[in-house]
Amino acid sequence: MKGIVAPASAVVHPRAVVFTQRASAIERRVGLLFAATGVALIGVMGVLGLIMRLTQANVLGVSPAWFYRLMTLHGAGMITGALLAMMGALWYVLHPSVPLRPGRMLVAYALTVTGVLAVVIATLVGGFAAGWTFLPPLPFHPAGQWSVWSESLFFVGNLLVGASFCVFCVDVLEQTTGTYGGLARALGWHYLRGREEKAPPPQAIAATVIAIDGLISCAVGSTILVGLLGRTYDSTVGFDALVAKNLVYFFGHSIANLSIYLGAAAIYVLVPRYAGRPYEASKVFVAGWMGSLVFIATAYSHHLYMDFVQPAWADIISAIASYGALLPVAVITIYSMTMLIWGSRYHWTLASTLLYIGFTGWAIGGVGAVIDSLIPINFRLHNTTWVVAHFHTYLILTVVVWALAFLAHLLERDANRTSTRRVRTWTVSLILVGGYGLTGTWFVEGTLGVPRRYAIQPPGTSNYSLVGAVFAFLFAAGFLAFVIQLVPMVRAARSRRYHLVERVDGWTGTHYQHRESVVSEESQPSHTALLARQGVPLASPTQLGLGVVACVISLAAFFPQIVNASEVSNRYHHLDHAGQFFTGALLGVLLGSQPAISRRLGDHSSIGLAVVLVAPTVMMLVMVPRFYEPLEPHPLEHALYHLAMAGCGLATGVGATRLGLVTGRLMFVLSIGMPLMFAAAMK
Amino acid sequence: MSVHYGDPQVAIGVVFAVLALLLGGVFLAIGLQARSDVPDERVHRVGYWLRKRWLAVLLVIGVVVVGVSLLDLPFASGSNHGRAVVRVTGGQFFWSLAPNKVEAGTPIRFDVSSIDVNHGFGLYDPHGHLIGSVQAMPGYHNNLDLTLNEVGVYRIRCLEFCGLSHSIMESSFTVAPAR
Repeated sequence: MKGIVAPASAVVHPRAVVFTQRASAIERRVGLLFAATGVALIGVMGVLGLIMRLTQANVLGVSPAWFYRLMTLHGAGMITGALLAMMGALWYVLHPSVPLRPGRMLVAYALTVTGVLAVVIATLVGGFAAGWTFLPPLPFHPAGQWSVWSESLFFVGNLLVGASFCVFCVDVLEQTTGTYGGLARALGWHYLRGREEKAPPPQAIAATVIAIDGLISCAVGSTILVGLLGRTYDSTVGFDALVAKNLVYFFGHSIANLSIYLGAAAIYVLVPRYAGRPYEASKVFVAGWMGSLVFIATAYSHHLYMDFVQPAWADIISAIASYGALLPVAVITIYSMTMLIWGSRYHWTLASTLLYIGFTGWAIGGVGAVIDSLIPINFRLHNTTWVVAHFHTYLILTVVVWALAFLAHLLERDANRTSTRRVRTWTVSLILVGGYGLTGTWFVEGTLGVPRRYAIQPPGTSNYSLVGAVFAFLFAAGFLAFVIQLVPMVRAARSRRYHLVERVDGWTGTHYQHRESVVSEESQPSHTALLARQGVPLASPTQLGLGVVACVISLAAFFPQIVNASEVSNRYHHLDHAGQFFTGALLGVLLGSQPAISRRLGDHSSIGLAVVLVAPTVMMLVMVPRFYEPLEPHPLEHALYHLAMAGCGLATGVGATRLGLVTGRLMFVLSIGMPLMFAAAMK
Repeated sequence: MSVHYGDPQVAIGVVFAVLALLLGGVFLAIGLQARSDVPDERVHRVGYWLRKRWLAVLLVIGVVVVGVSLLDLPFASGSNHGRAVVRVTGGQFFWSLAPNKVEAGTPIRFDVSSIDVNHGFGLYDPHGHLIGSVQAMPGYHNNLDLTLNEVGVYRIRCLEFCGLSHSIMESSFTVAPAR
């Protein structure tokens, strides 16, 4: 391994020492755990991608049945790997200023790993192959390829990954709003309006935006996944294909998008370390991230342009939002970072080089995405390989590259070493040439109208796949070279962290060497790792009063349905359940916000989070005709069933009050939105 | 599938390639220049001056490009009066078109639906160039208005992943000479 890495006087820029804290042990461990697992997952999923490209090139003879299994696993696994690594990166940069809880992060990790295992078994053993976008009702038309259990397992796996991201987002939102004194302050609005002199750090503002959009997309994703799960044990459940498609793409688009924004939040901290210039939030920065908050949640509809029955206003909003999303990225994030780097005597290491080339992928892939988001162009490129090209450009050449950069950053700092210039240049060149060559072939094929997701390519196009596969090999070589460079860094980091001490065994008297941890110079976060509690959702007497009024009205509205328990259609029935759940949730928030009750319930945020995640899920899981239809001839049992719906709402409402003012309110609103979306999508 | 220089897709590809190369060049220049030492105040002065103009340029491009794109929406509107209605039904893994033949120059309304899962009705001209696509959804009818002037056999491919035989789900549609 000699000659691969070289000692560096300091891996960060000399000027950055002033504002670069040493990472605490927990920050380093969480960062390494998430980055290493994420990169490993990305590596394995990349191999699957290579197999698919070689199959399309007629080099390998993988059958269509296996091709689509691999495609489904590749998509789900790659998004999860990217998300995992980027979650770790954001946690690493945010923890020094915001008391994020390591326990929550470990729960998120366990949920993701379990979810990934479930998806692996569902696809490779169960044969599930409906794509990672699982567009309903495709999962229930397997064409003899998969069984019901694999459908269920795939949906459970996705639900667990969604729950993991939800746990992460709740922790981030609770703690940023707690630390900076409310949502408006955490988002920098007070600073924007001139009420405060200083904004929160850029990573905290970005994290708050990501957490809000992340929670919205998790709520939407959970709704459709639970609906699909319900269909696996009740074949009478039907789908409204348009509503279901909206939910799926809202979830999928937002999650994929957020993996990039998570990385963006991390680079606000990492790039200044190599440029030697600190980066602080400005008013333009705050305004830009407000734009991103809206655009991330509204751009998804460009996936439905070619569903002409989608309301035209949704398409127009999406066209504007898709272009609008470009502005904060181009004018703030990428522009500001290149400003930092410009003439800074940038400290080029393996990590900082990868961080820099990540901007190119976001910019170039973003241009490809914006072109495709124009409706007349989408008419000609929709579901061609152009789509594959643009999202692979910013996933491979931004998110994956940033995941590698983050892992390298952690190890470089631990080892105080980086790769030699020659090795680094080769590695980065392989990644760049391989990555852009691979996506370039898809762009060319897209202009020729070659459809995406074809196990067997149209006649005369397999040579493009062959060229693409050659470039994919180059990228893989770069990836491998990167991993090889990490080995000596890991060794150096270990030797810096531990030293060998000569000891004598008390029993036998023999001498042996004991590995002892070096006393750490690591800094501790300035905060005590406790939740800065932010009150309850209904805080003032006026809010409580309004809550009571709303509760009385909803009780009056839904009381007849609870007593008579009659309905005309599944959708109406489900809407009724949503109303009952809403009534219960409102009552729960009202009770949990009462000072006397709140005191008795105590500060059990984790229990509150668990209840908020589980109760709406249980409610929707039993909201299928199989459970409620046998009860319809029995008014008492049916009324009790409806009361159980309200009971789930009550638990959710009380649980939400344990999550503080901002997060509690958001989770309350999202939880009542879930059964409403369920009612719209299922029939 | 071959390159046809008159296709809008080729123009789109060229525009993208130029923009991508331009961006690549800018990043390369910034990367090479990053080794130099420029005072912070100069970076801020020039950078913020340039940023305002950069935002203005992007806003103008956005308004023009998105605005113009909204004037050319492919969605069918109005009744099908005066149009030959072609009912297109997708199913795993076939296309059914009724009728499957029209005369050149006839205004057509493709009434596209599905009997099972989502499919994508991708229409390719006799040279194999993609004219456009519309989704075939169960429970919905998406209408696409087109007038096909070129005589020949048009190919239909599925452009939405629909399962095992997605890549061989094809059919054809004939445009005959006008009488």
